[in-house]
Amino acid sequence: MMDMSAVDNATASSDESLLARYRSGEAPAFDALYQRHRQGLYRFLLGLSGKAEWAEEVYQETWLSLIRSSSQPQGRANFRTWLYQIARNRLIDHWRKHGVRNPLHDSYDEQLHAPVDDANNPEQLLNLSRDSQRLERALQALPADQREVFLLRAHGDLDFAQIATATDTPLETVKSRLRYAQQKLRRLLAEEELT
Amino acid sequence: MTDARPTPEDQVLKHFRDHATGEPPAHLDAFILAAAHREAPVAKPSLWQKWLRACQQPRWQVAFASLVGVALMLTLVQRAPVPEATYDFAPAPKAAGKPEQLRAPAPVARSMAAPAGAMSAPEPAAPMADFAAPQQEAISAERADEAKISKKSTARAAPTLDDQLREVLRLRAVGQSKQAEALMKTLHTRYPNEHLDTRLKALAKP
Repeated sequence: MMDMSAVDNATASSDESLLARYRSGEAPAFDALYQRHRQGLYRFLLGLSGKAEWAEEVYQETWLSLIRSSSQPQGRANFRTWLYQIARNRLIDHWRKHGVRNPLHDSYDEQLHAPVDDANNPEQLLNLSRDSQRLERALQALPADQREVFLLRAHGDLDFAQIATATDTPLETVKSRLRYAQQKLRRLLAEEELT
Repeated sequence: MTDARPTPEDQVLKHFRDHATGEPPAHLDAFILAAAHREAPVAKPSLWQKWLRACQQPRWQVAFASLVGVALMLTLVQRAPVPEATYDFAPAPKAAGKPEQLRAPAPVARSMAAPAGAMSAPEPAAPMADFAAPQQEAISAERADEAKISKKSTARAAPTLDDQLREVLRLRAVGQSKQAEALMKTLHTRYPNEHLDTRLKALAKP
């Protein structure tokens, strides 16, 4: 059972200080850090891999690697960026191990995959599907690199600069990928709702 | 004025955040948290904690106890001076204004007692001298046993040759030349190898 006072105290701290406290021997600091990021990280991996088994495996590996490592976020990366960067690298390793071609490395012309979005009807926006299966289907219909950026923004709550750092991609590319992903999702969800 | 309303793209983002599902399984949560607690780095103890732990180990306890014991013993030894004997001899002659006491000074009284026959009848000693003589006998015997322990004390209590020579000078100064000569004669007998006259002259110098 977790020490609640220690967790309350840890909740007010930044991710970096929680990690430092854990590394200095304060185990309850990890609980707070884990509670803060467990859902977002899992949803990111689930959305990017598309398979629950892979997501769980990579999710576990990511946290265990953080537990066993003594390294800290380097350079401009904060803890959140660092965590998602570890998870992303683990997933790429996982794909490689299972003989899956890394979809994130596909050369991709975003302009070709971004149809002109003329669906600016507010009525349509209000009727986006709330069905989780449809949401998932629409997400998987996105190209992997757009999906990655969208998931990092939606579930990781990373800003453009952090996404650029985590994915080692130019900032403008990140912005355009996110824009295209959002337009396509809006269109797909609205279309599904209309049908 | 800027339009603060969210763009359609932002609404998609919010829509996904609000309606997304997917939670890590409970067994995974439990496994990861257990691993984190099990493999948490050991906290480095502070200096105070290190010291406290050291104190709890028997070997350090013995070491500290020995140290305290030695320190206590040294303190006791340093604080116990050898008591000075104040009763060994008759009191020293006081000021010159009391001639009856000056005539029979305590340290000399006993040394003069042996050749008493050769001397004229000595003046009666001070009242304390009567008490001091037999007591000195007993204590001198005792001192022989304790010589090793309290050399300093013995040296201070027994009149030295110089003390007795000073006594000769003092007797001469007060006009008791007979007694002074008798004392000198005694000293010559007791210290045949000493150049008493030379030492007497040296002592006479201010």
